[in-house]
Parts: sequence; C-alpha cells; structure tokens
Amino acid sequence: MMTLYDFTLLPDRDKINLLYEQGVYIGKRKTGNTSIILYQFEGFYAEVFYRTYRRHIETISCFAETTRLDPYLTEINVEHLV
Amino acid sequence: MTKFLAPKHIVVYADDDADDIELVEDAFKRYATNVEVITFKDASQALSYLKNQTDLDPLPCLIILDINMPLMDGKEALMRLRQLQRYEATPVVLFTTSSLPLDKDFARRYEAGFITKPLGYEQMELITKEFINHCTEETQKKIRRIN
Repeated sequence: MMTLYDFTLLPDRDKINLLYEQGVYIGKRKTGNTSIILYQFEGFYAEVFYRTYRRHIETISCFAETTRLDPYLTEINVEHLV
Repeated sequence: MTKFLAPKHIVVYADDDADDIELVEDAFKRYATNVEVITFKDASQALSYLKNQTDLDPLPCLIILDINMPLMDGKEALMRLRQLQRYEATPVVLFTTSSLPLDKDFARRYEAGFITKPLGYEQMELITKEFINHCTEETQKKIRRIN
C-alpha cells in the first residue's frame, strides 16, 4: 500500500496516472479562477489544482486530515434526498 | 456553382457539470467543420430530445452520458435508450468521474463504452480520439478525413 509520503515523492505525471486509474473522485470546488478536484487514494486525499479545468494542472496537494474536506461538503447537493 | 455542404455528424452529450460540457465542446472544436455537439444539462432532457427525433432526422453518431446527474442518471438513460429501436445500436459512452468496476460492467452490459473523465491535458487528447473511436468505422473515416 502506498503511503502519503511515497506518493508525494512521485513525479506529477505518475501521480496523475495513479489518481486517474485508482483514485476515487470525491468532489470539485472553485476558488477564484482555480478549479480544484478532490480524489481519495489509498488512505489519503489528493487535491488537483487547475489553471485550466482538467487540462493544465497547477499543483497537486496531498493530505490525510478530514478537516480539509469541509469545503467540499458544502458543494454536495442533497436536495434530491429531501 | 452551388456547393452542397454535407450534414454534420451529431454528438449528443448530457452532463450537469458546466465545466465538463465546456471541456468536451473544446475537445471537439478541431472537428467543428463536420461535427456538431448538442449538449444537455441532464439525461432526461437528452432523452426527450432523442425521443422526439423522427426518421428524417440524422441519427447521432455518438451519445455521451455522464453517470451522476440529478433527475435521471446516465445509467438509467442508457437503459432507456437501448429500449428504443432507433437507438438500440447507436454508439454510447458513459463519461464519468467513476472508475468503479460495477459501472464499467454496467456499460459493457448495455454495449456502451466507458471513459473516466481526465485529469490532465494529455489524457483529454487521448479521450477525444477514444470518443471518435466509438463511432462507426465509416463515421470515423469521414470525421478524420476532413481534419
């Protein structure tokens, strides 16, 4: 099993391929002109920051703390469940 | 001399995410001379558009459906499409954030393609080619010949 530390050592291209093939999409948010997509992979999370949505990646940020998931919770639409 | 333009190939795409719609429209821009992408914000709108087409209207060369959409999801739309004689053999691709084997199996069962939404530019390039690969061979040739 890959640890968060191992993942951070990988080149961006390998990170992207791993997230694409094995990551679980959690959600999307925007801050200013930046789109951010959150994936869960192994036991941690990875946020992909885009300069251009799903095309030009600015950075990939990884973390394990669940408090950083909060911004995505407000994006989840539960209207259809009510 | 009068020139008659060949009708464009129609790609129908349903997705509730405006960014993804823009992404796919951009991807098909290079084929804009002979491909028209018609987009819908949910699958029920797309389904009702498709149901209202007559035999005089051209069949879409490809239908792209997101899976997770409110009202009607892409899987239900795919099931309903396959029940319509007109669309029982039309190429369909589920284009989704999911990479779950369960969803892939579902696509296979209903003879649809399955493509996970890309993370980066290079993947999007490949995916655009993959979209076209799902069209019939004749359509693929026509689309690629002009571009």
